[in-house]
Amino acid sequence: MKLLIVEDQPKTGHYLRQGLSEAGFNAELVADGTTGQHLALTGDYSLLILDVMLPGRDGWQILQAVRGAGLEIPVLFLTARDAVEDRVHGLELGADDYLVKPFAFSELLARVRSLLRRGSSTPQETTLQLADLRLDLIRRRVERNGQRIDLTAKEFSLLEMLLRRQGEVLPKTLIASQVWDMNFDSDTNVIEVAIRRLRLKIDDDYPNKLIHTVRGMGYVLEERQA
Amino acid sequence: MRRLTLSGRLALLFAGCTAVVSLLAGVLFSRASEAHFIELDQQLLEGKLIAMRSALQGADDPQRFAERKAQLQDELSHQPDLTLRVTGADGAVWFDSAKGLPATAAQPTGLHSLQHDGTAYRIYSAALEPGQAGSPELTLMLDITHHQHFLQRMQHLIWLTVGLSALATALLGAWAARSGLRPLRRMSEVAAGVSASSLTQRLPEQQMPGELAELAQAFNAMLGRLDDSFQRLSAFSADIAHELRTPLSNLLTHTQVTLTRPRALEDYREALHSNLEELQWMAQLVNDMLYLAKADHGLLTPKREALELGDETDMLLEFYSPLAEDAGIALGREGSAKIQGDRSMLRRALSNLLDNALRFTPAGGEVRVRLGETAKGSYLRVENTGEGIPPERLPRLFDRFYRADPARHEGSSEHAGLGLAITQSIIRAHGGQIRCESAQGRTSFVIELPRQE
Repeated sequence: MKLLIVEDQPKTGHYLRQGLSEAGFNAELVADGTTGQHLALTGDYSLLILDVMLPGRDGWQILQAVRGAGLEIPVLFLTARDAVEDRVHGLELGADDYLVKPFAFSELLARVRSLLRRGSSTPQETTLQLADLRLDLIRRRVERNGQRIDLTAKEFSLLEMLLRRQGEVLPKTLIASQVWDMNFDSDTNVIEVAIRRLRLKIDDDYPNKLIHTVRGMGYVLEERQA
Repeated sequence: MRRLTLSGRLALLFAGCTAVVSLLAGVLFSRASEAHFIELDQQLLEGKLIAMRSALQGADDPQRFAERKAQLQDELSHQPDLTLRVTGADGAVWFDSAKGLPATAAQPTGLHSLQHDGTAYRIYSAALEPGQAGSPELTLMLDITHHQHFLQRMQHLIWLTVGLSALATALLGAWAARSGLRPLRRMSEVAAGVSASSLTQRLPEQQMPGELAELAQAFNAMLGRLDDSFQRLSAFSADIAHELRTPLSNLLTHTQVTLTRPRALEDYREALHSNLEELQWMAQLVNDMLYLAKADHGLLTPKREALELGDETDMLLEFYSPLAEDAGIALGREGSAKIQGDRSMLRRALSNLLDNALRFTPAGGEVRVRLGETAKGSYLRVENTGEGIPPERLPRLFDRFYRADPARHEGSSEHAGLGLAITQSIIRAHGGQIRCESAQGRTSFVIELPRQE
């Protein structure tokens, strides 16, 4: 997966590239708009991450050029400006997502993965599975080690999200937005409680824990060797 | 063009009124004296006429008239201001003691005035023998120049009086207005002295005259509001600095201490995690402050979607239910309301209220959302049981960084005390109002949203 980051602030750009590279992406970084636009149009990228304010050509001009050339690459905007008009403008021009600084890296990573997944058509799954945990989407049943587990509707959605994105660190804000449709910085204590209750049902009776807390970042569902 | 001052205006008005009044009085007086003179003249002339008639009794043809001429002239010589003209029925002038005066034959009988050669005359014409056809006509002319002089002098006097009294009242009026408007000047002095550092000055409302008391009250109220906003604003800046200082100093100290000597990998990780928590808290604070700044600049423009507040409330109650269950608090909703508003913003507002309510409700308590519609709009109440908020804290509850519970120190929770301020901004952006009531172990936050057309 080749990503292009166009960010003129050296520190931000450097950490973005490092973080994305370590997350398994092939991330390239350029610091000015002109080079950024050239690369975006010629290189074969899966995703563009653009800062709005850039020397040379700004993020919106690059986006216009990219869409003008008929390229359907997903574009994620990063900006320090949070005027509503800006957001509307960006989305009108065909941006796919928008993150306002300061943002958490885990949030960026989760959104990058969402955008990349959006393009690829995954076959319609009927069951999701990790180790001995099975989630049946049609019958809406959850089993672990062959034993049925009763979940509330929201717990089911939460587990479904964790299973679909297993191995990814999911920030609390993303979980709140995806599972409860709370698209603002709501009280994340609620997510902690919800995760704790899910753990109680999924993990507590089994030695092999699947839900893990990544301190300061979020939660991840994965099988770890004890 | 500069507008006239208030006292200038009043002085001019006073002067104008006096001028009009004295002018009217003068005109009336001069009219009356003129009428009086005419009356006097008429009486005089009528007397003369009787004397003339008797002197000229039967002299109705030129011959007989000539016989009496000497007697007539003798009679006239005693009265230098009187002239006589006798005209025959055919229009021929039989006698004329005033040569050079224009003919008056055309004039009807009765009293007239005539101006000739700088001399004014009162003229009285009558037949010598009334009731007889072909009677010669007598025209008596009285020199009334001295009357006219008197009247003219009087007119001058009137104009002088008008002018002087107008001037005098203008001056007196200006003085009176200036002293009458002294409270206004006092007001403007206070207004001119208002600056950020002197917002505490107030006008003495009791000493103001009735008309100005209301204005003074409004003015003082405005100063009060300004002072209040200013206090809050400066407190806000101080609070921001204070709120940021704690996490910053934690970051600095922790990072420096960590770097003083080589440590185990786990220690570095721990330090970074701790830093991350501080940073996340600061990022949250900055985002909240930006949101409030946007609201302050009127950039919070809610969408108008048709919303069923009951459904939105249920969603949020479901979201909070695990937390409530853990804390042993019952959640519930009553009633419903349909409104036009921004879903995401209102969820945020309501979520802050619920979060707040859950935080202050003791175990075994209850948080209840009541919805309803009135003639004016919709209302939403978030009620919780618990200790309640002392009345003196209620007005400051929506202030930024204000914490109803002073024991809770900064940095201890995810919210820096901006939640209620944000909720208030959202409700205001919707044209609504929010207030807090607290009594008898129940605290309610009441949102009122106006009906949308």
